[in-house]
Amino acid sequence: MNHSPVPHPALSMPTQGTFPLFFRVVRRQRETPDTYTLWLEPPAGTPFAFQPGQFNMLYVFGVGEVPISISGPAHDPIPVVHTIRAVGAVTRALVNLKPGDLVGVRGPFGTSWPLEQAQGKDVVIVAGGIGLAPLRPALYHLLHHREAYNQVVLLYGARTPRDLLYRRELERWRGRFDMEVLVTVDRGPREWRGHVGVVTTLFDLAEPFFQPANTVALVCGPEIMMRYTARELLRRGVPEEHIYVSLERNMKCGQGFCGHCQFGPLFICKDGAVFPYPQVAHLMTLREV
Amino acid sequence: MARPTEDERRIFELLRRHPFTRALPENHLQRLASIASVCQLQPGDYLLREGRPVDAFYLLLSGRVGVEVYQPDRGVIPLQTLSRGDAVGWSWALPPYRATFDIRVLEPTEAICLPASELRQLMHDDPVLAVSILKKLLSMVASRIQATRLQLLDMYHRENP
Repeated sequence: MNHSPVPHPALSMPTQGTFPLFFRVVRRQRETPDTYTLWLEPPAGTPFAFQPGQFNMLYVFGVGEVPISISGPAHDPIPVVHTIRAVGAVTRALVNLKPGDLVGVRGPFGTSWPLEQAQGKDVVIVAGGIGLAPLRPALYHLLHHREAYNQVVLLYGARTPRDLLYRRELERWRGRFDMEVLVTVDRGPREWRGHVGVVTTLFDLAEPFFQPANTVALVCGPEIMMRYTARELLRRGVPEEHIYVSLERNMKCGQGFCGHCQFGPLFICKDGAVFPYPQVAHLMTLREV
Repeated sequence: MARPTEDERRIFELLRRHPFTRALPENHLQRLASIASVCQLQPGDYLLREGRPVDAFYLLLSGRVGVEVYQPDRGVIPLQTLSRGDAVGWSWALPPYRATFDIRVLEPTEAICLPASELRQLMHDDPVLAVSILKKLLSMVASRIQATRLQLLDMYHRENP
């Protein structure tokens, strides 16, 4: 587990400082109408490694810099994969980059999902919306080291069927015999044949597939979704200290210097973005934090 | 008291395992089993139609049904999906016992069917049974309201400003 704010020595990358390195966009794929995945190639000979849950600062020259979770496999980290939803000036510029364009990259930063601690346990992944992107490296890891874990369950909620990320992969994962995948949308057209309802309504269906007392839960999505998901997990008997959430704030420096992402006594960029739920539960309901 | 029939024994076992009724004591389960039947439903069947009398309370054993509402300018709007382990609706317990939404079967579905008037009579005759069922119903209503409120929040809309 890497929840220490001190970066793991193995992860001291040339990209981890104050100045970005130039990565080249080698592939771009549309996931949903406003969300794209970019594959970024580092300069020749530059190593890059990360742990699932970490993020990079991506800099579009002349526009600005934003934190984006890494969404590719940690065991095959190059090219570096990022899934980006266009919601502001920088993210809009990012999703409009084309193969051959350059982007500034600093990172990886932040803590990671507790995949070592989860070994031998059931792992329940609960993702909402774009929250599946930071969880995908954890899923890749679980499936790459499948024998090290007990049950693997993915509960994924999106706004509508057309907002579902990684549809082909979801279908492939759903076809596996060694994991359970349950998908829901908040709003579905009549022709949608899947589940309709918020992601927490999937827990009744998932109940037979995991033992709460022996479960580690990884949760990422809008904060309100994570609050209600954590309550549902607790109600079902998942120990509080086995629940992990990934938080987002306005991160700038990525190293805990600037204070933009301060969250009570914590800095999301260096103390998170992945936190044990007990560490942040009391802050998640505080106003003006 | 008459000996339970084979059907009643089977339904008793199904009720004993269903999340809505599994906490009930044996004598209550037996009473419910004595009025219940198991029904097989096909895609396109309606369990409830908005505005029409509700004649049964359904406990889903398998399959899937959709809670839907019709709006003239938008057509049928799916609101929620219910599946194995869910109970369908509460209009059977509240006058005027008429459905407020459509419940349409989406895939082959098996359900325990409790006739509404007989269930209400059982509850009238046995207040302890009534309290147990109403407590469970209240818990179901509370979680559906919570889920509906989260749906109304449209929480995935531009969640990363």
